[in-house]
Amino acid sequence: MTRKQKRLAIIGGGVGFLTAAVLLVMFAFSQAVAYFYVPGDLAKASVAPGTRIRLGGLVETGSVKRGEGRTVTFNVTDTLATVSVTYTGILPDLFREGQGVVAEGAFAAGSPVFVADTVLAKHDETYMPKDVADRLKAQGVTLGGKENIR
Amino acid sequence: MLFWILVAILTAAVAAVLVLPLMRAAVPLPSPHSHDIEVYRDQLDELARDREAGLIGGEEAELARAEIARRLLAASAADATAGQSAPKRLLSSRHAQAFIFLCLPAIGVGLYLMTGSPGVPAQPLAARLASPGDDINILIANAENRLALNPGDGAGWDLLAPIYMRSGRVDDAVDAYDRAIRLMGPTPARLGGYAEALVVQSGGLVTAEAQSALEKALALDSDDPRSEFYLALGLRQEGKRAEALAAFRKLAGKSPADATWMPFVNRHIAELGGPPPDAAGAAPGNPTSKDIAAADEMGAGDRQAMIRGMVESLSSRLKEDPANFEGWTRLIRSYVVLDQRDKAEEALREGLKAFPATGDEGKQLLALGRELGIDASGEEK
Amino acid sequence: MIIELGHYALVLALATAIIQAWLPIAGVTRGDRALMELASSAAVVCFLLVAFSFAVLTFAYVTSDFSVRNVWENSHSLKPLIYKMTGVWGNHEGSMLLWLLILVFFSALVSLFGRSLPETLKATVLAVQAWIAGAFALFILLTSNPFARLIPAPGEGKDLNPVLQDIGLSIHPPLLYLGYVGFSVCFSFAVAALIEGRIDAAWARWVRPWTLAAWTCLTAGIAMGSYWAYYELGWGGWWFWDPVENASFMPWLAGTALLHSALVMEKREALKIWTVLLAILTFSLSLLGTFLVRSGVLTSVHAFATDPTRGVFILAILVIFIGGAFSLFALRASHLKAGGIFAPISREGALVLNNLILTTATATVLTGTLYPLLLEALTGDKISVGAPFFNMTFGLLMLPLIAVVPFGPLLAWKRGDLAGAAQRLFAAAAIGLVVAATCYYAANGGPVLAPLGIGLGAYLILGALTDLVLRSGLGKVAGGVAWRRLTGLPRSAFGTALAHIGLGITLIGIVTVTAFQTEVVAEMKPGAMIDVGRYSLRFDGMRQGRGPNYTEERGHFTVSRGGVAVTEIWSSKRLYPARRMPTTEAGIRTFGLSQLYVSLGDQMAGGGIVVRIWWKPLILCIWGGALVMMAGGIVSLSDRRLRVGAPSRARKAVLATGAAE
Repeated sequence: MTRKQKRLAIIGGGVGFLTAAVLLVMFAFSQAVAYFYVPGDLAKASVAPGTRIRLGGLVETGSVKRGEGRTVTFNVTDTLATVSVTYTGILPDLFREGQGVVAEGAFAAGSPVFVADTVLAKHDETYMPKDVADRLKAQGVTLGGKENIR
Repeated sequence: MLFWILVAILTAAVAAVLVLPLMRAAVPLPSPHSHDIEVYRDQLDELARDREAGLIGGEEAELARAEIARRLLAASAADATAGQSAPKRLLSSRHAQAFIFLCLPAIGVGLYLMTGSPGVPAQPLAARLASPGDDINILIANAENRLALNPGDGAGWDLLAPIYMRSGRVDDAVDAYDRAIRLMGPTPARLGGYAEALVVQSGGLVTAEAQSALEKALALDSDDPRSEFYLALGLRQEGKRAEALAAFRKLAGKSPADATWMPFVNRHIAELGGPPPDAAGAAPGNPTSKDIAAADEMGAGDRQAMIRGMVESLSSRLKEDPANFEGWTRLIRSYVVLDQRDKAEEALREGLKAFPATGDEGKQLLALGRELGIDASGEEK
Repeated sequence: MIIELGHYALVLALATAIIQAWLPIAGVTRGDRALMELASSAAVVCFLLVAFSFAVLTFAYVTSDFSVRNVWENSHSLKPLIYKMTGVWGNHEGSMLLWLLILVFFSALVSLFGRSLPETLKATVLAVQAWIAGAFALFILLTSNPFARLIPAPGEGKDLNPVLQDIGLSIHPPLLYLGYVGFSVCFSFAVAALIEGRIDAAWARWVRPWTLAAWTCLTAGIAMGSYWAYYELGWGGWWFWDPVENASFMPWLAGTALLHSALVMEKREALKIWTVLLAILTFSLSLLGTFLVRSGVLTSVHAFATDPTRGVFILAILVIFIGGAFSLFALRASHLKAGGIFAPISREGALVLNNLILTTATATVLTGTLYPLLLEALTGDKISVGAPFFNMTFGLLMLPLIAVVPFGPLLAWKRGDLAGAAQRLFAAAAIGLVVAATCYYAANGGPVLAPLGIGLGAYLILGALTDLVLRSGLGKVAGGVAWRRLTGLPRSAFGTALAHIGLGITLIGIVTVTAFQTEVVAEMKPGAMIDVGRYSLRFDGMRQGRGPNYTEERGHFTVSRGGVAVTEIWSSKRLYPARRMPTTEAGIRTFGLSQLYVSLGDQMAGGGIVVRIWWKPLILCIWGGALVMMAGGIVSLSDRRLRVGAPSRARKAVLATGAAE
């Protein structure tokens, strides 16, 4: 091989590798990325059962029910719509009724129940999952503040 | 002043260090290739060492040696043609010095004045605790520290609770009232204050816990307007409109027209559909919902003034109307907890004027003084 | 007054940095040596000023001076002294000041120990450093001033987030910053080379130790952060592909590539332009990381504050420095002379392949981190790119890299013998396969990929050892001679081997934990037993406890194996009343390199409690491997060859960089 051919071979190999990497990334984006929804969106957009999504909103007050030990069901609401969620495992420390939450998982086939495998709660007094805060704000829901009756 | 002197010294010192290199005599700049030559020579030495140690094969070493030697030759040739550049000392030196002397103070002082707070002293906590003066935050902190060491001091909690409430530290207020009640026993004032703090804590809702405290308070003193107010509010929140209206009317009937809570009561009555009743007799109250609503709206600075004002207003009220035994005990305790012992002693003396030491109440005041370690016989300063 | 003096010193440091940024460059263009030398004293002065300023802030924290807003927001008079001090950088303002302090510290090191550097190069490098320092000092003073006062002073502080009151977290940011900011020196050298239009022979010899030192610190910082997340967050995970983790991981990947390309450049004067580009890229990723974390663009555990002016300011810094450096590169790169030539099959070729894969991997991580932001900005759609994406792309890209790693050191420079190298690696590969088969057998089938991954790790470790064995001539020459040769090997050879062995150990840990960990979630009542892995746990009950600033509920577990009690585990949930914040303190017991991890959930009505228990086999290998990699970095740094240049002076430089870790 001449020097020029060698160089071409190296460059060709490099370009081939990069192309493969780009294809891989594009494939991964089509497979392994979860879109974010609030319950109100789900009425408009139909999400196929089994598609991984992130569901964000507030935990509806009074909706948390513990099943047989480790399974928990609760409702996630954005005040426009409500989705009920089941989760098996340990809820995060900061999971509370009336607070922001993000559940990751998929809808079970033929059922309106969202099966979550990951639940994230807001991480301190001032932290609200950004996605949730933005969406809820856009829909005019005040966060954290309870109606001042007095 | 000392601060600005130090600033000047610091700036001058930095300027001097920076200008120093510019004062030295001009030195010729060696050709950049002379450094390369040095590095290549080192590489050759290193290669020779590796070969001796047997770390590198003969042929490989020879190839590497040839390559480094080629670079060395090239660098030497470039060095010879470049030669030494003549020492340069252009006008730039004087310009540079001017730049430094101008730049440092201009940027330094300019930006500092924009962002800094000259003249504000450092305030280490230990020093502030040692001599609190008028520092209301430290007075509270002092009281807190004392209570942290001696959490069984119910009177301290009793005093701190309303102060917390007014500084907007509702959670602390709930805790303080709770402790005061447990340590000192329930009184209408404590129970009412506790309930009120709970209400504010839950964002205005009269919770079951608050309700039970309010009922206890009324059991002790059926005329406590605050407790009646919140119980009525609770009834309204439960949707028992008729009962709430009756309760508000009853409260309004008992209260003087100029009582601070009357506007709220009247508003509730109006909202519940009843006509505003006539005003009647009065009873002195603790901080009312209006005060707290006002405290909520205030900024932090205003709150501090309010706490200070609260003690002062109690003191002046007592001057006008000294026949208020509970007022005197509160005032004395306030001063002790705020660590103003001389004022506490003065208050004790004043209180004894209203309630002579021979009487029952006077004896109680003296006993309180002993308990708190205050001497009533002290000379006025 | 002392507080205000500290504040003024910071302003003065900015003024000094401005002088240091302009005058030496003027000196270089005019050939005025005095102006160039000014850079050295300015760098030292600047460091002293920032150090004073930092000391004053620390003093304010230690004395609980709540008239300083930053202290009031992040400290408490009753906090233990150690957390008062670490609290200085446990917040946005203080951590930026630490960033600046480390930056000017490195400038001062270059100034003090760079006497053997060509004058023009040194002056330009220090000027570029001063540009960065000036920009960040201005950022701190205008948008995140730690010396802002609060009058009247509150009586008590608001305390530090309890999650951050931990010794692991206290050490993790300074280490991470030493790494991040250490790459600034490489960046400055690269920009200086572009400005001068030539690369001195000393260039690579300087860039490599800096890269090594920064890389070693970054490795330590990332490993520490990962371990902290593992034991403190109570989720049992050790890496979440969280954007903030990625922000520190990307400079690490690029820095690893830089480490290898700088090697080619030093030995062969090849890949010059590429190395310069990588040096710029690495620090750009550090800056990007700072931007992502500090601007609040990503909301995460680590984002202390979200303030749009800060974000815009850092974005401006980012655009100016990264954009400026890349424009300069586009303009001037052609001026740099291309260096030595080599065949595709050679050590250079292997290192080029390493660089190709590492930079591609960096790009995938970057894409995965930024794509959600981009998509949201363009279409408003919100997506989350999590572990599945990164495992699929990054994980797959790492496989070929790991397969070729052992080949690198075995190939000769310039023209290598692939067949020969493969032959020499035959033993390592064979043992790796045997290990894989054994694992497959031991696991009773199960996933095929996991045993292969473990085998790959074993191959990596053995491949690195093969290199040492071959170079010492063990088996070919007498034992004594081989020993002498082995001990006579340059330390960088041991450094390389250690770093590659560390990678193998980490790989084994990751694969084993991912594939073979057992997880049990159950509701347990006192007296209940549960089997996890080879151990049985009995839940004995809950107890109340009280710490200095928290209350806790502690669950007690007895661990037994084969019916015999082995040890006990306490796991607790704490409540910090100051911030009303609950935290989970996982109970962790170590058995060799494996761990039992017990995390408590909610208490149930009937006295039971939900517990989540993991058996994590060989998990300590993950961080142990990182430690071995660090050791490799340190051993390499101490290599005699890195000190060549002007021996007596340069030795100090290496000691100094060693001290910087």
